[in-house]
Amino acid sequence: MSVISVKDVSKTYWVREKQITTIKGFFSDFSSLSKKRKIRALKSIDFQVKSGEFFGIIGSNGSGKSTLLKILLGVIPPDSGGKVKIKGKAIRLSLGMGFDPNLSARENIYINASMLGLSFKEIGDKFSDIVDFAELEDYQETKLKFYSRGMKSRLAFAIATNAKADIFLMDEFFGGVGDLNFREKSESIFKNRFVDNRTIIHVGHNLKHVIDNCDRVLLLHKGEQIALGEPREVVKKYKEILKESINE
Amino acid sequence: MINLLLRPIVKYLPENNRLERIWKLALVDFKKRYYNTYLGVIWALLNPLFKLFIYYSIFSIILDPQIDNYGFYIFSGIIFWQFFAEGTNKSFSVLKSKKYLLENIQFNRLDLYYSTILSLLLGFLFNISVYLLITLIAGIHFNYNVLWIPLLALNTALVVFGLLLLLSTLYIHFTDLNQLWAMALLAGIWLTPIFYGRGALMDSYPFLLYLNPLAGIVINVRETALYANQPDYFFIFYDLFWAIVVTIIGLYVFKKYSTKMIEKF
Repeated sequence: MSVISVKDVSKTYWVREKQITTIKGFFSDFSSLSKKRKIRALKSIDFQVKSGEFFGIIGSNGSGKSTLLKILLGVIPPDSGGKVKIKGKAIRLSLGMGFDPNLSARENIYINASMLGLSFKEIGDKFSDIVDFAELEDYQETKLKFYSRGMKSRLAFAIATNAKADIFLMDEFFGGVGDLNFREKSESIFKNRFVDNRTIIHVGHNLKHVIDNCDRVLLLHKGEQIALGEPREVVKKYKEILKESINE
Repeated sequence: MINLLLRPIVKYLPENNRLERIWKLALVDFKKRYYNTYLGVIWALLNPLFKLFIYYSIFSIILDPQIDNYGFYIFSGIIFWQFFAEGTNKSFSVLKSKKYLLENIQFNRLDLYYSTILSLLLGFLFNISVYLLITLIAGIHFNYNVLWIPLLALNTALVVFGLLLLLSTLYIHFTDLNQLWAMALLAGIWLTPIFYGRGALMDSYPFLLYLNPLAGIVINVRETALYANQPDYFFIFYDLFWAIVVTIIGLYVFKKYSTKMIEKF
């Protein structure tokens, strides 16, 4: 059963030569309104992800990975004609993001977990689990601005896991998450993904990590879908493309 | 069949945890504004009290306006104006301050707007309580007409809600909108009958009373809470109508453009 289905998704940005971002500019610079340049960030992407899959997305900078993640999350809409279907609650995990720095960990946990669909009673029941998992027992009431990047990442991961987010969109998240101890804990979470129906979309540059963990990998290059399939082969293809672009 | 009939209704009922979430966001917002400072919530009161002090000194001592209870006369207006000005100014921060959520998690963006209005209403509640308390001590006569105050407050809240949706969406596109709005508010406080009666505008520029939703509201606040009179029913209906229209426009613009706009963040 597929939890994510992406059908013929394109994304075109219209960029003005001179960007008009003010009312003053709108009236004084009317002529440049018509001069637009088309940037195709994604060109008819097509794939499906099954429940429990560990799905990798690789590609060089500017290949459209982040745009694709944003579309999956519903932050930005795809061009008309494209269809994205997501079953369940998705959360994006990236290094040190997703929290209000001026609120305590407790408040951030409540807000984030509530958005993942938990009632406050449920959050109260799971609160100590979340804090234990993130190894932040002594810092519950500390404001997030005093947290290190590692602490924030651990907290984000702990919330996503305990609040039962169905889809983890991990944006360059690995490598930053904590020490060995924590890494082992997260490994076991990933191993149990089929039991818990947890789907993982992993975007990253660490190719060894991609080969070791992913079930399937999607390769993007300049917004186009180049390859989709077995990690080893896709990574090989990616390396070829990288070599070509260096030779050019 | 039953399902088909129920679906639109259920859709607009809050999810089991949605109200909790909106309330939490509002509380956190309110707390962040005041609690972190040394004097805490007292700031919420200090600001309008100080404004009252300044305006009262200038107008009553220097200009001598010949209005009974002139301090309360201004204060009642300032409280509502403050609600309006502070609220609409949030248009320029409501999305940016929650960027951390917008980019990482799926949720209904309208929740941010509901919680903003709630947190503004909390601040307003403090101010209006102080007003009522002081007038009570000062021996101002009240009757049941004071019950119009909650309705007038909700009317203001709806105006703010509509403008918040409209301005915050436009602001993503036009980043100098906040400058324009600051000027509009500066003009607005003098074009609203806060320091003078309705007569002054009614005689010379009546359209200003209709253009500005706060004009009718402030007039009615004074009639009901200070003079214990019946409100001007024309303005009650007119301002509600104004609020509903601006909310519909705001919702339309927000629905149509806000997702597209967020790309520019």
